[in-house]
Amino acid sequence: MELIKFLGKGTGFMVLLAVLAAILVLVTLLILKSSKRKYAGRIVIPVFFMEIAVLFGIQALGFPDRGDEVGPGVVPGLWLIGIFGFSVLLLIRGLSGKEEEDPPWGKIGKVTVFMVMTILYLFIMQIIGYYLATIIYLIFGMYYLSYRNWRVMLSMTAGWILFSYFAFYRLLYVPLPRGILFEWIFG
Amino acid sequence: MELLANLFQGFGYLAGVQPIIAIVAGVILGILAGAMPGLSPSMGVALLVPFTYGMSPQIALILLVSIYIAANYGGSITAVTINTPGTPSAVVTSFDGYPLTQQGKAGIGLGISLVSSTVGGIIGTIILIFFSVPLARMAVKLHPAEYFALAIFGLTTVASLGGKNWPKAFLAAMLGLLINTIGIDPISGVKRFTFGTYRLFDGFALIPALIGLFALSEVFTRIEESKLEKDAETKYEKTQWPTLMDYWKLKFTIARSSILGTLIGIFPGAGATIAAFLSYDLAKEFSKEPDTFGKGNPNGVAAAEAANSSSVGGALVPLLALGIPGSASTAVLVGALMIHDLVPGPLLFVERPDIIYSLFAALLIANIVMLGLGLFGARLWVKVTVIPKKILLPAILAISIIGSFSVNYSFFDVATCIGFGIAGWILKKYGYPGAPIVLGMVLGKLAETNFRRAVIMGGYEIFFTRPISLILLILALLSFGIPLYQTSKANKKTKA
Repeated sequence: MELIKFLGKGTGFMVLLAVLAAILVLVTLLILKSSKRKYAGRIVIPVFFMEIAVLFGIQALGFPDRGDEVGPGVVPGLWLIGIFGFSVLLLIRGLSGKEEEDPPWGKIGKVTVFMVMTILYLFIMQIIGYYLATIIYLIFGMYYLSYRNWRVMLSMTAGWILFSYFAFYRLLYVPLPRGILFEWIFG
Repeated sequence: MELLANLFQGFGYLAGVQPIIAIVAGVILGILAGAMPGLSPSMGVALLVPFTYGMSPQIALILLVSIYIAANYGGSITAVTINTPGTPSAVVTSFDGYPLTQQGKAGIGLGISLVSSTVGGIIGTIILIFFSVPLARMAVKLHPAEYFALAIFGLTTVASLGGKNWPKAFLAAMLGLLINTIGIDPISGVKRFTFGTYRLFDGFALIPALIGLFALSEVFTRIEESKLEKDAETKYEKTQWPTLMDYWKLKFTIARSSILGTLIGIFPGAGATIAAFLSYDLAKEFSKEPDTFGKGNPNGVAAAEAANSSSVGGALVPLLALGIPGSASTAVLVGALMIHDLVPGPLLFVERPDIIYSLFAALLIANIVMLGLGLFGARLWVKVTVIPKKILLPAILAISIIGSFSVNYSFFDVATCIGFGIAGWILKKYGYPGAPIVLGMVLGKLAETNFRRAVIMGGYEIFFTRPISLILLILALLSFGIPLYQTSKANKKTKA
């Protein structure tokens, strides 16, 4: 019980995270160097979920027990047993080659750039506000996907901005972010 | 006879310009609210409540229920055309609706979803009119053990959703159930899996999660596969529309799903999403071609839409007959009724039959208005599919972001949406379906709270000593086991 308490928070929790991350990296490297490398994804994903089950399981065991017949950790515990069990099953299927081979990766660089752009959009929106950030995001997004008809790009962006202003801000009272910068300048 | 006479009087109340304008406006606003990811039917209704202060109680209620009905259908438009379910229940519509669009048959998906919604809505209303009082009494007498069994029964749909990949589907459902436990425990108040972050005290909101899992993951997949060129797009000219015969072929699916949807809608806390999942599963069980489900089978669209629309009638049963709101939307309607000094419950039938029966009549007319407006609008909505993907994909991301933000006006929800989008993209790539995660998130609360209440009330054996609970659990076991048995039999046949 002491060990669970230690691993559940603070330094112990960080140590546990580091160990689990190291195991995941090690498993990935081992698989990539083995004859099972065509199933790397099929093997690594169940291992990741098993680690999630362990991580959450340790947390659940540490939930305060107030003498209830069914405490707050019972039901999550049931789901975690399910996650661990199905992960083991999928891991066995992956290791024994019963799963299909990993699908080929497509234009992964393009997807990554788009994801980063979307995350940046989220941050920039908080600084320069929804409208300006959306204009930049939409135009950059279309341009990055190699669309070059500027008239369509601009009219589509303007249309969306007007729609979001009238539908969300005016009609539905959604307080679209004004941005720290504009709030600082205009008060 | 008295009921029919009252109903005719109800139609009489609607014979005026104001009620008709309220219905048409409600249906248009409802379709828009439903189609917009992030705005659920309950939010659509809630946002319009302040506008009803100055209206008469009848007009206010007519407007709000029209929004409620149409929003359930509206969610299917974006689910079919761009795989972005506007409402949680439309997730199920997207299973077969979006594959139809990918095959250049967006018109079929849209047409079937509209007609199924209309018929489902009408059947749900008819059941509401004739059986509201006895059904409501039955539903509220159910023990928590029976609600738990119902949730488990709902979870078994995963077995057929997963097909060959059933372990992945179950793992995904378990993840959804686990995600649902994040936050403050509603029974003991203990903080669970919050890792010291106050933003996780309320857990992850469902709508941003489902927008991420469905819309964002689809966008990332499209970009990865670089299916952005013109030849990969659907041609509007080629879009087919359903014929009368196509609709007729779906009659049993629509009727069955409508009845099931209404019944599920009656149970407080169950609602449109569970109704859609269960009806979809049942349609697959009854189908001679279960393998075509998930690949553009019209029965899948019809089952989901008929069920989620008919659940509106079901959800109104406990509200009107007993004054108990069974869903978020009906809870908002209770507020709207109270604003106008009306207390929902059995007394309302006696004291203000004009309100009750004009509401019934409005529900029927709103469905027909929705059919008319939907038929007109479908020709416009299908054009979404011809927008070049290079424009559409960034636009879907922008819609998803604003949709997620609108739920709680929170950037954390937007981050949730992006996080679930990335996770959904990776999981989809390796064959883990997103729908069971949503199902787990929807059913998690119903399952956990009722499980714990039941055990506190009668110990662990209570699930097997109460007949309804036992029957539901046996049914759950069968609906879990039969698809798995069929899959393993099919696998053996293939190997042989």
